[in-house]
Amino acid sequence: MTNDSPHRFAVGSILVFCGLLLVSGCANMPDPADGDAVAEYIQTNDPLEPTNRQVFAVNQGLDSALLKPITEVYRDTVPATARQGIQNFLANLRTPVVLLNDILQGDLDRTIETLARFLVNSTVGIFGLADAAAELGVPAHAEDFGQTLAVWGVPSGPFLMLPVFGPSNPRDTVGLVVDLLTDPFNRWASNSGQPQAAYSRAGAETVDRRAQNIELLNEVEKSSLDFYAAIRSLYRQRRAHGISNGLDVPEIQAGKDVEFTDRPKFIDEEVSRRE
Amino acid sequence: MLKRFALTGALVICVVGMGFATSARADANEENSLQFIQSVADKAIQSLTAKDTPKPERVKQFRILFNENFAVKSIGKFVLGRYWGRASEAEQNEYLGLFEDLMVVSYVDRFSSYAGESLVLKDARTENETTITVFSEIKRPGGTKPIQINWRVGTNGTIYKILDVAVEGASMSTTLKSDFGSIVRQKDGKVSGLIDELKKKTASLTEEMQK
Repeated sequence: MTNDSPHRFAVGSILVFCGLLLVSGCANMPDPADGDAVAEYIQTNDPLEPTNRQVFAVNQGLDSALLKPITEVYRDTVPATARQGIQNFLANLRTPVVLLNDILQGDLDRTIETLARFLVNSTVGIFGLADAAAELGVPAHAEDFGQTLAVWGVPSGPFLMLPVFGPSNPRDTVGLVVDLLTDPFNRWASNSGQPQAAYSRAGAETVDRRAQNIELLNEVEKSSLDFYAAIRSLYRQRRAHGISNGLDVPEIQAGKDVEFTDRPKFIDEEVSRRE
Repeated sequence: MLKRFALTGALVICVVGMGFATSARADANEENSLQFIQSVADKAIQSLTAKDTPKPERVKQFRILFNENFAVKSIGKFVLGRYWGRASEAEQNEYLGLFEDLMVVSYVDRFSSYAGESLVLKDARTENETTITVFSEIKRPGGTKPIQINWRVGTNGTIYKILDVAVEGASMSTTLKSDFGSIVRQKDGKVSGLIDELKKKTASLTEEMQK
Protein backbone atom coordinates (compact mmCIF):
# COMPACT_ATOMS: atom_id res chain seq x y z
CA MET A 1 0.00 0.00 0.00
CA THR A 2 1.45 3.35 -0.98
CA ASN A 3 1.63 6.16 1.51
CA ASP A 4 0.22 8.79 -0.79
CA SER A 5 -3.15 7.06 -1.10
CA PRO A 6 -5.93 9.63 -0.94
CA HIS A 7 -7.97 8.05 1.80
CA ARG A 8 -4.89 7.95 4.03
CA PHE A 9 -4.41 11.62 3.33
CA ALA A 10 -8.04 12.36 4.20
CA VAL A 11 -7.91 10.27 7.37
CA GLY A 12 -4.66 11.96 8.38
CA SER A 13 -6.08 15.44 7.89
CA ILE A 14 -9.16 14.62 9.93
CA LEU A 15 -7.01 13.32 12.79
CA VAL A 16 -4.79 16.41 12.72
CA PHE A 17 -7.88 18.61 12.81
CA CYS A 18 -9.31 16.74 15.81
CA GLY A 19 -6.01 17.32 17.59
CA LEU A 20 -6.21 21.04 16.83
CA LEU A 21 -9.74 21.17 18.21
CA LEU A 22 -8.50 20.02 21.59
CA VAL A 23 -6.41 23.17 21.96
CA SER A 24 -8.99 25.58 20.53
CA GLY A 25 -11.51 27.98 22.03
CA CYS A 26 -14.90 27.04 23.41
CA ALA A 27 -18.25 28.83 23.46
CA ASN A 28 -19.16 30.83 26.55
CA MET A 29 -21.20 28.81 29.02
CA PRO A 30 -24.55 30.42 29.87
CA ASP A 31 -25.35 31.62 33.38
CA PRO A 32 -26.19 28.39 35.30
CA ALA A 33 -29.01 30.25 37.08
CA ASP A 34 -30.84 30.84 33.78
CA GLY A 35 -32.55 27.48 33.22
CA ASP A 36 -33.87 28.33 29.73
CA ALA A 37 -30.44 29.50 28.58
CA VAL A 38 -28.82 26.30 29.87
CA ALA A 39 -31.45 24.17 28.12
CA GLU A 40 -30.85 26.10 24.91
CA TYR A 41 -27.07 25.66 25.24
CA ILE A 42 -27.50 21.89 25.66
CA GLN A 43 -29.91 21.70 22.74
CA THR A 44 -27.65 23.72 20.44
CA ASN A 45 -24.89 21.23 21.39
CA ASP A 46 -22.16 23.31 19.80
CA PRO A 47 -19.54 23.97 22.51
CA LEU A 48 -16.86 24.62 19.87
CA GLU A 49 -19.00 27.22 18.08
CA PRO A 50 -16.32 29.97 17.80
CA THR A 51 -13.84 27.55 16.17
CA ASN A 52 -16.56 25.96 14.07
CA ARG A 53 -17.57 29.38 12.75
CA GLN A 54 -13.98 30.14 11.78
CA VAL A 55 -13.69 26.84 9.93
CA PHE A 56 -17.05 27.55 8.27
CA ALA A 57 -15.77 30.94 7.08
CA VAL A 58 -12.68 29.27 5.55
CA ASN A 59 -14.88 26.59 3.91
CA GLN A 60 -17.14 29.32 2.55
CA GLY A 61 -14.12 31.11 1.09
CA LEU A 62 -12.91 27.90 -0.59
CA ASP A 63 -16.41 27.25 -1.88
CA SER A 64 -16.94 30.65 -3.46
CA ALA A 65 -13.39 30.77 -4.88
CA LEU A 66 -13.21 27.23 -6.24
CA LEU A 67 -15.99 24.72 -5.82
CA LYS A 68 -18.99 26.88 -6.66
CA PRO A 69 -17.50 28.37 -9.87
CA ILE A 70 -16.38 24.90 -11.01
CA THR A 71 -19.83 23.49 -10.25
CA GLU A 72 -21.54 26.28 -12.16
CA VAL A 73 -19.38 25.66 -15.21
CA TYR A 74 -20.09 21.92 -14.90
CA ARG A 75 -23.82 22.57 -14.68
CA ASP A 76 -23.88 25.05 -17.55
CA THR A 77 -21.72 23.07 -19.99
CA VAL A 78 -22.45 19.39 -19.34
CA PRO A 79 -25.94 18.37 -20.55
CA ALA A 80 -28.42 17.16 -17.92
CA THR A 81 -28.51 13.58 -19.22
CA ALA A 82 -24.71 13.31 -19.01
CA ARG A 83 -24.73 14.74 -15.49
CA GLN A 84 -27.42 12.23 -14.54
CA GLY A 85 -25.22 9.44 -15.97
CA ILE A 86 -22.23 10.64 -13.92
CA GLN A 87 -24.38 10.84 -10.81
CA ASN A 88 -25.64 7.28 -11.38
CA PHE A 89 -22.13 5.99 -12.03
CA LEU A 90 -20.78 7.54 -8.81
CA ALA A 91 -23.74 6.23 -6.83
CA ASN A 92 -23.09 2.73 -8.19
CA LEU A 93 -19.44 2.96 -7.10
CA ARG A 94 -20.65 3.76 -3.58
CA THR A 95 -22.99 0.76 -3.46
CA PRO A 96 -20.51 -1.64 -1.72
CA VAL A 97 -20.27 0.78 1.23
CA VAL A 98 -24.07 1.11 1.30
CA LEU A 99 -24.36 -2.69 1.23
CA LEU A 100 -21.89 -3.12 4.09
CA ASN A 101 -23.89 -0.69 6.22
CA ASP A 102 -27.24 -2.26 5.30
CA ILE A 103 -25.79 -5.54 6.62
CA LEU A 104 -24.26 -3.94 9.73
CA GLN A 105 -27.64 -2.37 10.52
CA GLY A 106 -29.28 -5.78 10.18
CA ASP A 107 -31.66 -4.47 7.52
CA LEU A 108 -32.37 -7.53 5.37
CA ASP A 109 -34.81 -5.80 2.98
CA ARG A 110 -32.38 -3.02 2.22
CA THR A 111 -29.47 -5.46 1.90
CA ILE A 112 -31.36 -7.36 -0.81
CA GLU A 113 -32.37 -4.10 -2.50
CA THR A 114 -28.79 -2.86 -2.58
CA LEU A 115 -27.45 -6.17 -3.91
CA ALA A 116 -30.10 -6.26 -6.61
CA ARG A 117 -29.40 -2.63 -7.52
CA PHE A 118 -25.68 -3.26 -7.82
CA LEU A 119 -26.15 -6.32 -10.02
CA VAL A 120 -28.76 -4.73 -12.28
CA ASN A 121 -27.08 -1.33 -12.60
CA SER A 122 -23.58 -2.70 -13.20
CA THR A 123 -24.87 -4.88 -16.08
CA VAL A 124 -28.15 -3.65 -17.58
CA GLY A 125 -27.28 -0.14 -16.42
CA ILE A 126 -23.89 -0.32 -18.24
CA PHE A 127 -21.32 0.17 -15.44
CA GLY A 128 -23.87 2.05 -13.41
CA LEU A 129 -24.37 4.88 -15.91
CA ALA A 130 -28.12 4.25 -15.96
CA ASP A 131 -30.16 3.62 -12.84
CA ALA A 132 -32.03 0.69 -14.38
CA ALA A 133 -32.97 -0.66 -10.95
CA ALA A 134 -34.86 2.54 -10.08
CA GLU A 135 -36.83 2.17 -13.31
CA LEU A 136 -37.71 -1.34 -12.16
CA GLY A 137 -39.04 0.05 -8.90
CA VAL A 138 -36.02 -0.36 -6.60
CA PRO A 139 -34.95 3.21 -5.87
CA ALA A 140 -31.58 4.16 -4.38
CA HIS A 141 -31.09 4.77 -0.67
CA ALA A 142 -28.10 6.14 1.19
CA GLU A 143 -26.36 4.50 4.13
CA ASP A 144 -23.01 5.20 5.74
CA PHE A 145 -21.10 4.11 8.81
CA GLY A 146 -22.13 7.24 10.74
CA GLN A 147 -25.76 6.13 10.32
CA THR A 148 -24.84 2.58 11.34
CA LEU A 149 -23.24 3.87 14.56
CA ALA A 150 -26.41 5.88 15.23
CA VAL A 151 -28.56 2.77 14.70
CA TRP A 152 -26.28 0.96 17.15
CA GLY A 153 -27.07 3.67 19.71
CA VAL A 154 -23.89 5.75 19.55
CA PRO A 155 -24.74 9.41 20.32
CA SER A 156 -23.68 12.05 17.79
CA GLY A 157 -21.63 14.16 20.18
CA PRO A 158 -21.32 17.93 19.67
CA PHE A 159 -21.59 19.67 16.32
CA LEU A 160 -18.33 19.87 14.40
CA MET A 161 -17.45 21.87 11.29
CA LEU A 162 -14.72 19.94 9.47
CA PRO A 163 -12.39 21.78 7.12
CA VAL A 164 -13.32 20.99 3.49
CA PHE A 165 -15.67 18.14 4.50
CA GLY A 166 -18.16 20.54 6.13
CA PRO A 167 -20.78 19.96 8.84
CA SER A 168 -20.33 16.85 10.97
CA ASN A 169 -19.97 15.55 14.53
CA PRO A 170 -17.58 13.06 16.18
CA ARG A 171 -19.80 10.08 15.32
CA ASP A 172 -20.15 11.04 11.67
CA THR A 173 -16.44 11.91 11.45
CA VAL A 174 -15.59 8.36 12.56
CA GLY A 175 -18.18 7.16 10.04
CA LEU A 176 -16.54 9.18 7.27
CA VAL A 177 -13.12 7.68 8.05
CA VAL A 178 -14.51 4.13 8.15
CA ASP A 179 -16.40 4.71 4.87
CA LEU A 180 -13.17 5.88 3.19
CA LEU A 181 -11.23 2.88 4.54
CA THR A 182 -13.84 0.25 3.70
CA ASP A 183 -14.52 1.48 0.18
CA PRO A 184 -13.31 -1.25 -2.24
CA PHE A 185 -12.61 1.22 -5.03
CA ASN A 186 -10.30 3.29 -2.83
CA ARG A 187 -8.54 0.11 -1.67
CA TRP A 188 -8.10 -1.04 -5.24
CA ALA A 189 -6.77 2.38 -6.27
CA SER A 190 -4.11 2.49 -3.56
CA ASN A 191 -3.19 -1.21 -3.76
CA SER A 192 -2.65 -1.07 -7.50
CA GLY A 193 -0.61 2.11 -7.27
CA GLN A 194 -3.19 4.28 -9.00
CA PRO A 195 -4.12 6.86 -6.39
CA GLN A 196 -5.09 9.31 -9.13
CA ALA A 197 -8.19 7.16 -9.78
CA ALA A 198 -9.37 7.72 -6.22
CA TYR A 199 -8.53 11.44 -6.40
CA SER A 200 -10.52 11.83 -9.60
CA ARG A 201 -13.46 10.03 -8.10
CA ALA A 202 -13.34 12.19 -4.96
CA GLY A 203 -13.23 15.31 -7.13
CA ALA A 204 -16.14 14.14 -9.25
CA GLU A 205 -18.17 13.27 -6.15
CA THR A 206 -17.52 16.69 -4.65
CA VAL A 207 -18.67 18.54 -7.78
CA ASP A 208 -21.66 16.23 -8.28
CA ARG A 209 -22.83 16.70 -4.70
CA ARG A 210 -22.37 20.46 -4.90
CA ALA A 211 -24.38 20.52 -8.13
CA GLN A 212 -27.21 18.60 -6.47
CA ASN A 213 -27.39 21.08 -3.59
CA ILE A 214 -26.71 24.29 -5.45
CA GLU A 215 -30.28 25.64 -5.52
CA LEU A 216 -31.08 24.69 -1.95
CA LEU A 217 -27.86 26.19 -0.57
CA ASN A 218 -28.23 29.37 -2.62
CA GLU A 219 -31.71 29.80 -1.24
CA VAL A 220 -30.78 29.11 2.37
CA GLU A 221 -27.86 31.51 2.09
CA LYS A 222 -30.12 34.15 0.59
CA SER A 223 -32.96 33.89 3.08
CA SER A 224 -31.18 33.09 6.35
CA LEU A 225 -29.99 35.69 8.83
CA ASP A 226 -27.28 33.42 10.23
CA PHE A 227 -26.20 31.00 7.50
CA TYR A 228 -24.02 29.00 9.90
CA ALA A 229 -26.89 28.39 12.33
CA ALA A 230 -29.21 27.43 9.46
CA ILE A 231 -26.66 24.95 8.05
CA ARG A 232 -26.09 23.45 11.51
CA SER A 233 -29.81 22.86 11.91
CA LEU A 234 -30.27 21.53 8.36
CA TYR A 235 -27.36 19.10 8.75
CA ARG A 236 -28.80 17.64 11.95
CA GLN A 237 -32.30 17.30 10.54
CA ARG A 238 -31.07 15.66 7.34
CA ARG A 239 -28.96 13.20 9.34
CA ALA A 240 -31.87 12.34 11.63
CA HIS A 241 -33.97 11.78 8.51
CA GLY A 242 -31.31 9.50 7.00
CA ILE A 243 -30.79 7.54 10.22
CA SER A 244 -34.51 6.80 10.55
CA ASN A 245 -34.63 6.04 6.80
CA GLY A 246 -37.11 8.88 6.45
CA LEU A 247 -39.65 7.28 8.79
CA ASP A 248 -39.42 9.69 11.71
CA VAL A 249 -41.34 12.89 11.47
CA PRO A 250 -40.02 15.30 14.09
CA GLU A 251 -42.47 16.65 16.61
CA ILE A 252 -43.43 20.18 15.67
CA GLN A 253 -44.35 22.32 18.64
CA ALA A 254 -46.17 24.97 16.65
CA GLY A 255 -49.26 22.75 16.55
CA LYS A 256 -49.97 23.21 20.23
CA ASP A 257 -51.32 26.73 20.18
CA VAL A 258 -52.64 27.34 16.71
CA GLU A 259 -54.88 30.33 16.42
CA PHE A 260 -57.50 29.43 13.89
CA THR A 261 -58.38 32.81 12.60
CA ASP A 262 -60.13 33.09 9.31
CA ARG A 263 -58.58 35.18 6.63
CA PRO A 264 -58.31 38.68 8.10
CA LYS A 265 -60.77 41.08 6.48
CA PHE A 266 -58.16 43.76 6.09
CA ILE A 267 -55.78 41.51 4.18
CA ASP A 268 -56.40 43.13 0.80
CA GLU A 269 -55.68 46.61 2.13
CA GLU A 270 -52.70 45.13 3.93
CA VAL A 271 -51.39 43.62 0.72
CA SER A 272 -51.75 46.81 -1.30
CA ARG A 273 -50.18 48.83 1.51
CA ARG A 274 -47.12 46.61 1.57
CA GLU A 275 -46.54 46.35 -2.15
CA MET B 1 -56.06 16.10 -15.16
CA LEU B 2 -57.51 12.62 -15.44
CA LYS B 3 -54.46 11.31 -13.58
CA ARG B 4 -54.99 13.70 -10.71
CA PHE B 5 -58.65 12.73 -10.62
CA ALA B 6 -57.74 9.06 -10.41
CA LEU B 7 -55.17 9.84 -7.74
CA THR B 8 -57.54 11.86 -5.61
CA GLY B 9 -60.07 9.07 -6.01
CA ALA B 10 -57.54 6.46 -4.93
CA LEU B 11 -56.55 8.57 -1.95
CA VAL B 12 -60.15 9.06 -0.88
CA ILE B 13 -60.74 5.31 -1.11
CA CYS B 14 -57.54 4.72 0.83
CA VAL B 15 -58.48 7.14 3.57
CA VAL B 16 -62.04 5.88 3.73
CA GLY B 17 -60.68 2.33 3.99
CA MET B 18 -58.45 3.30 6.87
CA GLY B 19 -61.40 4.96 8.55
CA PHE B 20 -62.80 1.61 9.59
CA ALA B 21 -59.75 1.09 11.77
CA THR B 22 -59.43 4.57 13.20
CA SER B 23 -62.03 6.91 14.56
CA ALA B 24 -64.39 8.55 12.12
CA ARG B 25 -63.29 12.00 13.22
CA ALA B 26 -59.59 11.42 12.71
CA ASP B 27 -60.48 9.91 9.36
CA ALA B 28 -62.42 12.98 8.28
CA ASN B 29 -59.55 15.22 9.37
CA GLU B 30 -57.04 13.22 7.38
CA GLU B 31 -59.21 13.25 4.28
CA ASN B 32 -59.83 16.97 4.63
CA SER B 33 -56.12 17.62 5.16
CA LEU B 34 -55.26 15.81 1.94
CA GLN B 35 -57.90 17.83 0.09
CA PHE B 36 -56.66 20.99 1.75
CA ILE B 37 -53.05 20.47 0.63
CA GLN B 38 -54.27 19.56 -2.86
CA SER B 39 -56.29 22.78 -3.00
CA VAL B 40 -53.28 24.85 -1.88
CA ALA B 41 -51.16 23.20 -4.57
CA ASP B 42 -53.86 23.85 -7.19
CA LYS B 43 -54.12 27.49 -6.15
CA ALA B 44 -50.33 27.81 -6.29
CA ILE B 45 -50.32 26.42 -9.82
CA GLN B 46 -53.02 28.87 -10.89
CA SER B 47 -51.54 31.98 -9.34
CA LEU B 48 -47.78 31.41 -9.41
CA THR B 49 -46.72 29.40 -12.41
CA ALA B 50 -47.96 31.51 -15.31
CA LYS B 51 -44.69 32.52 -16.96
CA ASP B 52 -45.76 35.99 -18.04
CA THR B 53 -46.78 37.07 -14.53
CA PRO B 54 -44.40 39.81 -13.37
CA LYS B 55 -42.55 39.12 -10.14
CA PRO B 56 -44.23 41.77 -7.95
CA GLU B 57 -47.62 40.35 -8.96
CA ARG B 58 -46.47 36.82 -8.05
CA VAL B 59 -45.23 38.08 -4.68
CA LYS B 60 -48.62 39.68 -4.06
CA GLN B 61 -50.41 36.45 -5.00
CA PHE B 62 -48.10 34.42 -2.79
CA ARG B 63 -48.69 36.78 0.16
CA ILE B 64 -52.41 36.13 -0.11
CA LEU B 65 -51.87 32.38 -0.47
CA PHE B 66 -49.46 32.35 2.48
CA ASN B 67 -51.81 34.26 4.79
CA GLU B 68 -54.84 32.23 3.81
CA ASN B 69 -53.28 28.82 4.20
CA PHE B 70 -50.40 29.05 6.68
CA ALA B 71 -50.80 29.62 10.43
CA VAL B 72 -48.47 32.61 10.12
CA LYS B 73 -48.75 33.85 13.71
CA SER B 74 -48.30 30.39 15.25
CA ILE B 75 -45.26 29.68 13.09
CA GLY B 76 -43.78 33.09 13.91
CA LYS B 77 -44.30 32.50 17.64
CA PHE B 78 -42.77 29.02 17.46
CA VAL B 79 -39.77 30.28 15.54
CA LEU B 80 -39.07 32.98 18.15
CA GLY B 81 -39.33 30.35 20.89
CA ARG B 82 -38.61 31.48 24.44
CA TYR B 83 -37.88 35.02 23.25
CA TRP B 84 -41.53 35.60 22.25
CA GLY B 85 -42.54 36.18 25.85
CA ARG B 86 -39.65 38.60 26.36
CA ALA B 87 -40.73 40.87 23.54
CA SER B 88 -43.09 43.79 24.09
CA GLU B 89 -46.43 43.71 22.29
CA ALA B 90 -45.18 46.31 19.82
CA GLU B 91 -42.07 44.22 19.15
CA GLN B 92 -44.17 41.08 18.69
CA ASN B 93 -46.32 42.80 16.07
CA GLU B 94 -43.38 44.33 14.27
CA TYR B 95 -41.60 40.96 14.30
CA LEU B 96 -44.63 39.13 12.88
CA GLY B 97 -44.96 41.62 10.03
CA LEU B 98 -41.26 41.29 9.14
CA PHE B 99 -41.41 37.50 9.52
CA GLU B 100 -44.26 37.41 6.99
CA ASP B 101 -42.30 39.67 4.62
CA LEU B 102 -39.22 37.45 4.84
CA MET B 103 -41.22 34.28 4.24
CA VAL B 104 -43.10 35.73 1.29
CA VAL B 105 -40.07 37.20 -0.45
CA SER B 106 -37.76 34.25 0.14
CA TYR B 107 -40.21 31.42 -0.54
CA VAL B 108 -42.06 32.76 -3.57
CA ASP B 109 -39.52 31.30 -5.99
CA ARG B 110 -39.27 27.90 -4.38
CA PHE B 111 -43.03 27.63 -4.08
CA SER B 112 -43.44 28.66 -7.70
CA SER B 113 -40.96 26.06 -8.94
CA TYR B 114 -42.45 23.32 -6.76
CA ALA B 115 -45.93 24.20 -7.90
CA GLY B 116 -44.89 23.70 -11.52
CA GLU B 117 -43.81 20.11 -10.93
CA SER B 118 -46.17 17.33 -10.09
CA LEU B 119 -46.91 17.14 -6.39
CA VAL B 120 -48.13 13.64 -5.58
CA LEU B 121 -50.00 13.23 -2.30
CA LYS B 122 -49.18 9.89 -0.69
CA ASP B 123 -50.81 9.55 2.67
CA ALA B 124 -51.99 11.34 5.80
CA ARG B 125 -51.38 10.48 9.42
CA THR B 126 -53.03 11.82 12.56
CA GLU B 127 -50.43 13.04 15.06
CA ASN B 128 -52.84 14.27 17.73
CA GLU B 129 -56.30 15.82 17.99
CA THR B 130 -55.34 18.98 16.15
CA THR B 131 -52.40 17.95 13.97
CA ILE B 132 -52.15 15.84 10.84
CA THR B 133 -49.10 15.10 8.70
CA VAL B 134 -49.66 14.92 4.95
CA PHE B 135 -46.95 13.00 3.10
CA SER B 136 -46.23 13.96 -0.48
CA GLU B 137 -43.46 13.93 -3.03
CA ILE B 138 -42.40 15.90 -6.05
CA LYS B 139 -41.47 13.81 -9.04
CA ARG B 140 -38.40 15.16 -10.76
CA PRO B 141 -37.76 14.79 -14.46
CA GLY B 142 -35.12 12.34 -15.65
CA GLY B 143 -35.43 9.55 -13.10
CA THR B 144 -33.86 11.51 -10.23
CA LYS B 145 -35.09 10.54 -6.78
CA PRO B 146 -38.37 12.28 -5.95
CA ILE B 147 -38.21 14.94 -3.24
CA GLN B 148 -40.11 14.03 -0.08
CA ILE B 149 -42.29 16.83 1.27
CA ASN B 150 -44.22 16.52 4.52
CA TRP B 151 -46.87 19.05 5.45
CA ARG B 152 -47.86 19.57 9.05
CA VAL B 153 -51.52 20.60 9.05
CA GLY B 154 -53.29 22.05 12.09
CA THR B 155 -57.07 21.94 12.39
CA ASN B 156 -59.90 22.67 14.76
CA GLY B 157 -62.22 20.48 12.68
CA THR B 158 -63.42 23.24 10.34
CA ILE B 159 -60.41 25.39 9.51
CA TYR B 160 -57.18 23.92 8.16
CA LYS B 161 -53.82 25.70 8.25
CA ILE B 162 -50.27 24.66 7.34
CA LEU B 163 -48.02 24.71 10.40
CA ASP B 164 -44.81 23.49 8.85
CA VAL B 165 -43.27 22.11 5.66
CA ALA B 166 -40.43 19.59 5.79
CA VAL B 167 -38.37 18.96 2.66
CA GLU B 168 -36.39 15.69 2.85
CA GLY B 169 -36.71 15.73 6.62
CA ALA B 170 -35.63 19.34 7.09
CA SER B 171 -38.40 21.41 8.63
CA MET B 172 -38.81 25.04 7.66
CA SER B 173 -39.78 26.17 11.16
CA THR B 174 -37.07 24.20 12.98
CA THR B 175 -34.39 25.66 10.71
CA LEU B 176 -35.77 29.18 11.14
CA LYS B 177 -35.87 28.72 14.91
CA SER B 178 -32.19 27.83 14.95
CA ASP B 179 -31.38 30.74 12.62
CA PHE B 180 -33.39 33.40 14.52
CA GLY B 181 -32.41 32.06 17.96
CA SER B 182 -28.75 32.40 17.08
CA ILE B 183 -29.27 36.05 16.07
CA VAL B 184 -31.15 36.91 19.28
CA ARG B 185 -28.34 35.34 21.34
CA GLN B 186 -25.76 37.38 19.47
CA LYS B 187 -27.84 40.49 20.27
CA ASP B 188 -27.73 39.78 24.05
CA GLY B 189 -31.18 38.19 24.03
CA LYS B 190 -32.89 41.31 22.63
CA VAL B 191 -35.71 40.78 20.13
CA SER B 192 -35.14 44.36 18.91
CA GLY B 193 -31.74 43.19 17.63
CA LEU B 194 -33.45 40.46 15.58
CA ILE B 195 -35.97 42.99 14.26
CA ASP B 196 -33.12 45.20 13.00
CA GLU B 197 -31.54 42.23 11.19
CA LEU B 198 -34.91 41.21 9.69
CA LYS B 199 -35.42 44.75 8.40
CA LYS B 200 -32.02 44.72 6.71
CA LYS B 201 -32.63 41.28 5.22
CA THR B 202 -36.10 41.97 3.82
CA ALA B 203 -34.94 45.32 2.45
CA SER B 204 -32.03 43.73 0.58
CA LEU B 205 -34.19 40.85 -0.72
CA THR B 206 -36.87 43.25 -1.93
CA GLU B 207 -34.28 45.43 -3.62
CA GLU B 208 -32.73 42.39 -5.33
CA MET B 209 -36.16 41.28 -6.48
CA GLN B 210 -36.93 44.58 -8.16
CA LYS B 211 -33.75 44.51 -10.23
